[in-house]
Amino acid sequence: MTDEAPQYVAARVQQALAEDERTHELGIRVDVRGDQLFLRGQVPAQERREIISTVASEAAPDLKVRNEINVVEVRDPGEEEAL
Amino acid sequence: MKAHIAAVGDIHLGEDLRGKYRAQVAGIEHRADVFLIAGDLTRHGTVKEGRLVAEEFRDLQIPVVAVLGNHDYHSDAEEEIADLLRDVGITVLDDNSTVIDCNGMRLGIVGGKGFGGGFAGKCASEFGEPEIKAFVRHTKAIADRWRIALKELDADHKIVLSHYSPVKDTLEGEPKEIYPFLGSYLLAEAVDSVGADLILHGHAHLGTEKGNTPGGIRVRNVAMPVLRRAYACYCLDGAG
Ligand SMILES: [Fe+2]
Ligand SMILES: [Fe+2]
Repeated sequence: MTDEAPQYVAARVQQALAEDERTHELGIRVDVRGDQLFLRGQVPAQERREIISTVASEAAPDLKVRNEINVVEVRDPGEEEAL
Repeated sequence: MKAHIAAVGDIHLGEDLRGKYRAQVAGIEHRADVFLIAGDLTRHGTVKEGRLVAEEFRDLQIPVVAVLGNHDYHSDAEEEIADLLRDVGITVLDDNSTVIDCNGMRLGIVGGKGFGGGFAGKCASEFGEPEIKAFVRHTKAIADRWRIALKELDADHKIVLSHYSPVKDTLEGEPKEIYPFLGSYLLAEAVDSVGADLILHGHAHLGTEKGNTPGGIRVRNVAMPVLRRAYACYCLDGAG
């Protein structure tokens, strides 16, 4: 068996993040570069950031997970827009 | 008189956010006359999450109108989730309408989940395998119900509340390859054929807030990851 192409690994991780019941995250970008797996995007809580790493490394156990996901603070409503 | 509208989508509440969102909507009654929620209230669409959402949104001092999103359908519990929300006084729209008295103006809201299919020239059509036909028919049926609901709506202002997007404008930032799963032009076409003052949607977390339909109706993507705010506020003028 030949080495799996990085695109397939990234796709498998993306599917896992969407379908795993611990995550169901559809908005995370997954990139494989060499032996590293990069995760990018934003979530509203630290716990969610961590569980994404767990699910991703289970789906690609041979890769080093680089979690670059931001935990974003939700701000006040701010200015009203007149339509 | 003016109508002040607060709107948000894609809150995706879970145990880890319990109480947090509630704290952020404190005082909403001083900013808005009505709170519109554009779907994806939960992450997994479970009854347990539905109960959490109901607790977070209960007893707000202004009317709350919501539609569900695809995440709220994931566990086949959408009916139960909608009932839990209705039990705490939230109006849940499912391809129908409601009218709210807003400072003496009648604010009419037509709402539903919407669906995908893509945008004019680059979309699925009712052709080929039954699975593709069913996909396109689902969107067409929704668009038809919205058209009828809008026609029958007797109100001073009309707002359409959706989860999926009716236009491409507000998807800017999303990969183009997934546009057909983010919305359908059939939704915009239906609304343009009757007219409305504003269309609100969510679902496209990486999209942008502001756009228009081909007919010139304002569209706002109020997905919370797009807004990065607890909710957005819009004001409709009484003259409209
Ligand atoms: Fe969402
Ligand atoms: Fe969604």
